[in-house]
Amino acid sequence: MSTFAPSSTLERPASPPDRESFFDAQRRNRRAAWRLSAVCVLSAAVMGIPLALTITPLLYAVGLLAADLINLVSPLPPAFWQQSEKAARFGFVALGWLLQHKPADPRVLVIGSAVLLLPGTILSLFLWLGMSTLFRRGGVGGALLALKAREPNQNDLKELRLADVVQEMAIAAGLPAPRVMLVDAPGANVAAIGSSPADARLVVSRRMLDELSRDELEGALAHSIASIGNGDLRIAFQVVAIFETCGVLLALVNSPFGSQSRRTLWRILRYAFANSGAGQDAAKEADAVAGILTRSATLDADDIDHFFDTTAEKKSMLRSIRNFLLFPIVFTNFAIKLSLWFFSFAVLGPSVALLWRTRQYLADASAVQLTRNPEGLADALQKLTDHGGAIPGSGWAAHLFLISPTGNAGTAANTFTPQQTEVLAKAWLASAPQTATAMPNTGPADFQSMLKEAAATYRAAFSGDAQATARIRALKQSISSLDPSLAAAIPDPADFAAARKGDAAAMVRLQALRRHLALPAQTSSRPQSQGDADQSSGISSLSFVSFHPSLKRRLKRLNRMGAHRNLEPADSKMWIVATVISLIFAPFLLLAVGLLLLLIGVMILSSLAFLTVWLAFIHQIFVFVAHH
Amino acid sequence: MQISPELIGIAAVVAVLLWLVAAFNKLVVQRTRVKNAWAEIDVQLKRRHDLIPNLVEAARGYMQHERSTLEAVTQARTQALAAGNNLQARIGAESLLTAALGKFFAVAENYPQLRAVESVQLLQEQLTSTENRIAYARQFYNDEVMNYNAAQSTFPRNLFAGLFGFSPSTMFAAADADRANVQVKV
Repeated sequence: MSTFAPSSTLERPASPPDRESFFDAQRRNRRAAWRLSAVCVLSAAVMGIPLALTITPLLYAVGLLAADLINLVSPLPPAFWQQSEKAARFGFVALGWLLQHKPADPRVLVIGSAVLLLPGTILSLFLWLGMSTLFRRGGVGGALLALKAREPNQNDLKELRLADVVQEMAIAAGLPAPRVMLVDAPGANVAAIGSSPADARLVVSRRMLDELSRDELEGALAHSIASIGNGDLRIAFQVVAIFETCGVLLALVNSPFGSQSRRTLWRILRYAFANSGAGQDAAKEADAVAGILTRSATLDADDIDHFFDTTAEKKSMLRSIRNFLLFPIVFTNFAIKLSLWFFSFAVLGPSVALLWRTRQYLADASAVQLTRNPEGLADALQKLTDHGGAIPGSGWAAHLFLISPTGNAGTAANTFTPQQTEVLAKAWLASAPQTATAMPNTGPADFQSMLKEAAATYRAAFSGDAQATARIRALKQSISSLDPSLAAAIPDPADFAAARKGDAAAMVRLQALRRHLALPAQTSSRPQSQGDADQSSGISSLSFVSFHPSLKRRLKRLNRMGAHRNLEPADSKMWIVATVISLIFAPFLLLAVGLLLLLIGVMILSSLAFLTVWLAFIHQIFVFVAHH
Repeated sequence: MQISPELIGIAAVVAVLLWLVAAFNKLVVQRTRVKNAWAEIDVQLKRRHDLIPNLVEAARGYMQHERSTLEAVTQARTQALAAGNNLQARIGAESLLTAALGKFFAVAENYPQLRAVESVQLLQEQLTSTENRIAYARQFYNDEVMNYNAAQSTFPRNLFAGLFGFSPSTMFAAADADRANVQVKV
């Protein structure tokens, strides 16, 4: 006897079992954000210890050299030398305790660790405060200039409607309405840029106005305004300031060796002491400085290689002596660079990225509170991701955008206007070989499948299929008659034959058109920063975790708040394969990380040793000179 | 320094006093936000009042056969202005104005040449936006009222809230507007 099992269609629950209100979602995300801030502080501390251990000796070296030089001119009191000797002894005790577990008096230990860690820490804190002040002064203007943002056009109905929607959302949030600026970019995206809610600006891409309906526009703008209200602007600035501090530290340490680092430092100083923070040039300067600094915290071609270029023609005795004398500093320099890169890429960067992602989720939940309509935001996110959000010039402000602005700027959905899309679709259907079935109705969604079909036909034509070639010929003819300007976007059938025979020029033409017709991004959980970046991705390259959450995760959370998006269920087979692969590779990865940490530790300690020996040597020289 | 019981007692009293001050200030801030939110609704309602005469003038030339609809809109507006500070009458009059405007736009659908007139298009967009703004202002007001009511009625604040004159505010419920039966005098 079979029990009556109701069919799944009748028993579908009215709402997902883990339904949560947006208030609860906000509370959850706020708590998560606090936790992640603590993680960030911890990461900064963890990153700070090896940094302090490497920078402090350099600072002491500089101090000692300065003291010695001053001593030559006017002798310093002996008390000074006694105190510094005592401090050095404390430092050695602390080191001994750390490495060889030699017992030590706690008070001596505290003083010793202070001696070892304080100077580097104080310098980093000082630099961080300085960079964040400087940046706050000119960062906003600079970003707007780099994006080429413009005022809204008073005669355009859509742009007026945009201003209305912004006002409505600001009223819903109880905030002063931010100023709206427009960008004419191929992608559709929106960002909130500013240093405080009073002076915030909303940068909206013109394509977004064309693509989204009113509800979706409301959802996207509500997200930006909600993030302004939640105080994300200050956090965004701090994120950039952190990476800038790493960049400045690197430039400082590199400056004896690299002219580029010296130039960067000079630019920063000049900007810091410039007369007024206002003005276009100052803003451009701030943006350039921010760009350079956030890019420079990566491990790329050094000034050091340049410095030690032994294959250079002018190899003189003086250079060799200089190289020999400065070797410990070079070593320390390399140790600092390596630990800076590793910790910022693998520890601090991901913590900051995860924190920023949680703020994005919080802004999503707040947007639902403002519009009371999760569907609008879900639809907007889907449409924006399909269309592509490429905004050239985003630079360091990339994390402020709704979706990642560093996609492939050349996707076909971006390059064709809606009218052109219609013409192309009509021509494509007209060129199809006559079949018995009726012509399907063309909607905007079908354009994507038509693109896929077209790409397949091109591939077939390239390999010699006569039918495909004939179709392309017909397509080109109909396009030329409908819209001659579009004809250049279709490949010439003769090129296919020529390229097959080996004609290089034809091959180049076909490659260009193939890139032109690249399929738009799919809604996968692939992090956006892995896409082909046509421009330097600035801040997204500073951590292996991207700053923007994936579309799927955001839609899942919006579903819990009431949206009804069809999400493809996780492919369980792929999950099993992925888990197995990661289990296999995990030990190797851990081993590699452990070895890297060991290497960093060894380098730090040997740099300490080198510096100590070197300093003692030079100090003795000075003492010798002073006594005669 | 010896830690005597008196010292602990004094410290505890000081701590409680400090908490009392902080809680009182928070309630004051929230009540002010509620008042602010109500004022915002007022601003948007006034904006609607100011936009209507222009719309009626612009549409009058094209909608000669719809005099009753236009008159209803103008009358509702006059009544809303006359309602003044009487809360019940105000809510009722404003909702009637919303209904009259809705009817006007429904009738305007039958006049396609009206849609082509640019001034009417702009005014329609502005009125739609104003309706949205009123709705969002009400939503924000309700959210603030919710926060304030929750703050002044949860333990331990409810102990002294009544003492200092913090009473719960009323939300702007749509049902009240429908219940109030104010007649439009034609």
